[in-house]
Amino acid sequence: MSTSSRTSDKPPADRLRGIEAVTDSGLAHLDVEHLLVELLDRVREVLGAETAAVLLLDEPNGQLVATAARGIEAEVYQGVRVPLGQGFAGRVAASRRPVTIENIDDADVVNPLLRERGIRSLLGVPLLAGGQLLGVLHVGTIELRHFDASDVELLQMVADRVALATQTRLSEAERTASVVLQRSLLPQRLPQVPGLEAAFRYSAGAGGTVGGDWYDMFVLPGGWVCVTVGDVVGRGLHAATVMGRLRSSLRSHGMAARDPGTVLDLVDRQLRHFEPGEMATAVVAFVEPSFECLHLSVAGHPAPVVAAAGGGGRYLDVPVDTPLGVASPSRRQVTTVDLPPGSVACFYTDGLVERRAEPLARRLNLLEEVVVAAPPEKVCTTVMNRLIGRERPSDDVALLVVRRQDGHLAPLDVSRPAVASSLGEIRAAVRRWLAQVDASPADVTDLLLAVGEATSNVVEHAYGPQGGTVTVRIELQPPEVVVTVQDNGRWRSPRGTNRGRGSHIMAAVGEVSVTRRSGGTEVVIRRRVGAPEGQP
Amino acid sequence: MNAVRVEADTDDADVRFSLAGEIDLENAAVVEDQLLAAITNHTERVSLDLSGVEYLDSAGLRVLFHLADRLSTLQIEALLVAPADSPARRVIELSGLAQLVPLDPPDRSGGPAQPGVR
Repeated sequence: MSTSSRTSDKPPADRLRGIEAVTDSGLAHLDVEHLLVELLDRVREVLGAETAAVLLLDEPNGQLVATAARGIEAEVYQGVRVPLGQGFAGRVAASRRPVTIENIDDADVVNPLLRERGIRSLLGVPLLAGGQLLGVLHVGTIELRHFDASDVELLQMVADRVALATQTRLSEAERTASVVLQRSLLPQRLPQVPGLEAAFRYSAGAGGTVGGDWYDMFVLPGGWVCVTVGDVVGRGLHAATVMGRLRSSLRSHGMAARDPGTVLDLVDRQLRHFEPGEMATAVVAFVEPSFECLHLSVAGHPAPVVAAAGGGGRYLDVPVDTPLGVASPSRRQVTTVDLPPGSVACFYTDGLVERRAEPLARRLNLLEEVVVAAPPEKVCTTVMNRLIGRERPSDDVALLVVRRQDGHLAPLDVSRPAVASSLGEIRAAVRRWLAQVDASPADVTDLLLAVGEATSNVVEHAYGPQGGTVTVRIELQPPEVVVTVQDNGRWRSPRGTNRGRGSHIMAAVGEVSVTRRSGGTEVVIRRRVGAPEGQP
Repeated sequence: MNAVRVEADTDDADVRFSLAGEIDLENAAVVEDQLLAAITNHTERVSLDLSGVEYLDSAGLRVLFHLADRLSTLQIEALLVAPADSPARRVIELSGLAQLVPLDPPDRSGGPAQPGVR
């Protein structure tokens, strides 16, 4: 049996030039698999080999997985896996050194495809990047072949470049995937809950890499509202996927559990059972259907900040139980906090308050200072502006702010030219406003009539040819809706026939009072809305 | 201009109007013109279906009262169709128009008997 030697006369560096283009910018657009395929063709050519293949390390399983192959494509099609330390590729990976096999008949080879393909001689080198094993690159010949030192050196040089390019592309792919995943795992909008406004912000950390932060708000059966933020320890795709699973668990346990402590306990057990080694911090709050108070439980997470109407922000004094996934805790504690009308609760992850160059205490104080009982969008804007500012946070940041609306609905004020074409517009505004009140269709019909008659009167009788303005204010003074229509003209008595029905209609739909002054007229119509007292 | 639609379906001596939308001070005169234009000296019966009317105030009532008055003078039969709980029905009941023109369904407070209804 003769062994052929096809060692080129050229030194390895010259031969390498032929495949150097593999890592050049012309191939920069290729993804990992296409890049490898391109490379393998060039390697085969330069080394005069029939087959070339790359197996990448699947670390959790301790296996090498065929990822790209030329001349022996079935390896990829069949998803060949080789355990570390076993067979030819496994030995290359385990030893992290080049391995040559001159005659496959004398060697331990796991992969039957190599023999089936008629491969006689093999050369394999590790793919190493920054001392980290990424996989194995190997070539094979059908003829018996003695791979010499120059062949080994050449293949290893190629492998080093490939490893770098692969690593870059893999981490880019992961980064892209985790951003996409994160986007799909986090709610893009929060539910509209009348009486409970909410707003959120999410910012990926430095380099755009995602982490495991989440925020969520959902309505539970019976009108309870669950608000949660949390943080899976770690970064990147892995943390994002764990976060996604936790978030859906929080929703399903939220449906079944009676309190936030039980929700966290169930999620904790789930994490320890199915994903041992993972850790997360979280706060879960249940807002009562009346919005009067919220019940919350905290798992190793920074305490939310609350601000009552007219007051400043303060950290909630809540007991902090162990994070999720670390140890079986004793019973998780639930704290009940009042949520008076107009007050705000601010939930966040530690990326908001942790910044390397600054003491944590100062950041925490700053947050307490900037949270006020304002509309949530405004609070979010202020918080991000003051705490993040112009410096990209190193960690990702999630922020969720909820606010219980004031007890009363803001009044509607409309002022329009006193002309007939304003009437439809005024009615439309009144309709929208009434939609927020617990008014029956009959209430709506009658109140529209009251506003319509009063404003028509102004248009017809208040002003001379120079015209003027009609002003409508409608407000809720439970259990009544109060309509005030004003003008600043001087009334004249109605002219023509079939007049005067407007006042009759107004009087029928509500309690009317008319005040005439030298500066104008004010008509006030009060009407009780909703079910009369004593009726269901 | 508020959206209002007046459709007239003339069948021999019968004119059936169907009104929809909002009728107020701004467009009441237009509605009146359209109604009067479709009624001729040969018309014997006029019905106005107000089922599709979402808003009607005293400006619209003025048109209806005026029309009722004219039709009565010309001895043309008139009928107003306004379902219970409709916005038009509410205003008509408040105004006493049912005292002049039969209403379908009939006025609970008992207006004039309705010739040839149903």
